[in-house]
Amino acid sequence: MTSPSYFSNDVRRCLNGLMVGGGVVLACGAVYAPDRVWANLLLAAFYLLTVALGGAVFVALTYVTGAGWHVAFRRVPEAMARLLPAAGIAMLLVLAARMSAYGWPHAGEHHPETFWFKELWLTPTFWMVRAVVYVALWILLAGRLVARSQKQDVSGDPAITAGNTRLSALFLIVYAVTFSLASVDWIMALEPMWFSTMWGVYNFAGMIQTALAVVIILGLLLRRHGQPLHGVFNNDHLHDLGKLLLGFSCFWMYIWFSQYMLIWYTNIPEETSYFISRTKGPWAPVVVLSIVLNWIVPFIVLLPKPAKRSGAVMMRVAVVVLIGRWVDLYLMVMPSLMTDGGTSGIRQRIFPQTISAVPDFAIWEVAALCLLVGVAGRLLLRSFASASPIPGKDPYLKESLHYHAG
Amino acid sequence: MSDRVLVASFEHEDDLLAATRAVRGRGLHIVDAFTPYAVHGLDKAMGLRSSRLTWVCFICGMIGAGGMLWFENWIAAVAWPIDVGGKPWNSLPSDVPVAFEAAVLLAGFGSVFALFIVSRLFPGRAARIVDLRATDDRFVLVIDQADAAFDVAAVEELLQEFDVVETRELAPSKGGVLG
Repeated sequence: MTSPSYFSNDVRRCLNGLMVGGGVVLACGAVYAPDRVWANLLLAAFYLLTVALGGAVFVALTYVTGAGWHVAFRRVPEAMARLLPAAGIAMLLVLAARMSAYGWPHAGEHHPETFWFKELWLTPTFWMVRAVVYVALWILLAGRLVARSQKQDVSGDPAITAGNTRLSALFLIVYAVTFSLASVDWIMALEPMWFSTMWGVYNFAGMIQTALAVVIILGLLLRRHGQPLHGVFNNDHLHDLGKLLLGFSCFWMYIWFSQYMLIWYTNIPEETSYFISRTKGPWAPVVVLSIVLNWIVPFIVLLPKPAKRSGAVMMRVAVVVLIGRWVDLYLMVMPSLMTDGGTSGIRQRIFPQTISAVPDFAIWEVAALCLLVGVAGRLLLRSFASASPIPGKDPYLKESLHYHAG
Repeated sequence: MSDRVLVASFEHEDDLLAATRAVRGRGLHIVDAFTPYAVHGLDKAMGLRSSRLTWVCFICGMIGAGGMLWFENWIAAVAWPIDVGGKPWNSLPSDVPVAFEAAVLLAGFGSVFALFIVSRLFPGRAARIVDLRATDDRFVLVIDQADAAFDVAAVEELLQEFDVVETRELAPSKGGVLG
């Protein structure tokens, strides 16, 4: 069966160009500036993973809450969830490529009395096996969820909806535990002496924000003239997605601040190290930028009702949020891995070899972003085209098509 | 609004919605609609403008946050400074949680009380119910008999198209049906 192609060849060529261009630059960079390129790949792989997992979580949440409003465009988050095998394997490859970046083999030497559990938990083999288990569980459960939903297109069996509700509940429980642990293992462990008990929920907040922004962008692209969701994905669906994005942007800020305030208030050196390296000195403007993009812009712009019902406004806000998500992850990853005092000279500025103590946006970041956008775009389009664009026999489809947002 | 209205009852929400659109299409003024539960799309059919309560909510929230930030700063830095863990007296992060709670509290109470005031709901206010069955299984539309040109028979005929089950004229005493 040939899949329908929803976008012009120009779009495809553009995405291919981004993918190949970014990939080639990063491949050269892997030899010349391995630390910096690896950090960017980690960021990109984790970003892609949050898009995929976020889609799966969106689908699962709507099943367990008995929601019907989203069914008309449910194939969009499902297409995102179907990225899990690719995103998961990319993540595992990045992790396996440079386990030495995690400083744990030496970190415990000065604090043996408090480090014993971390030493045990972060044993490289155990750590890698866990990563494989997390990814395998996500692929298995989310894959089954989506496959069953597509099976309903043929059979129209309402029992599939009931079964998927139970499967979603299981997936959400597994997800909550494994994603918290994964964010700790893969990102927090970059600074093995630092810890935050809010790290899991902080990453969840960012993930759901990413997922909603991607759903909004894809939904809007797919509802243009001649696209499969034209006349299906309407302003009432958009309105509710806008409310969710507004709400979860506030949630992200709430969690960000809660994590910050507890650490600021307690003022214990092993906890404050993370925020001192970020909020004091040259990284502070990036923290402000992250808050502006992830919370202030969506909060102010999406507060009025007409904004949430306007495709043009929602598209722009969703893009701003996606840029904000990259900045937030950049702040999680880069300062943990910085090694030298700064970059000097024009050549070092464009082709820096290491992660400097000053926030820096050079060719490797551009290349990794190109690669991320190209790969995500190509995979998402292919994944969406591989199934019927509307779950035609879902029992809630009619309700969703006639949905009115209050 | 004149003091004479036409009260029409329907058995299905779809009939009420269609009748509301048709009545408005005739240029007649709808006083209000009463339904046992919230009917989606009725606000649009009635041509209600969007609620201004959101502005009350927003402004109350801002007053709550701003007022509490000022108050906390005044307590901690001016009226009774206490050294907490060596932090500056006017430490903003410690003020944020209470300011946030005050914003939510004022926004919530502000919206609810603004709604009560605007719709004149007070304890002990006598309920004015046009049709008791609107609290159970009927959908009721109240149409204003704006002037002498209001042709009751013609409107009733129009409503027949939407399976109206009952129409009656009402001349409420002072204040109208909605008081």
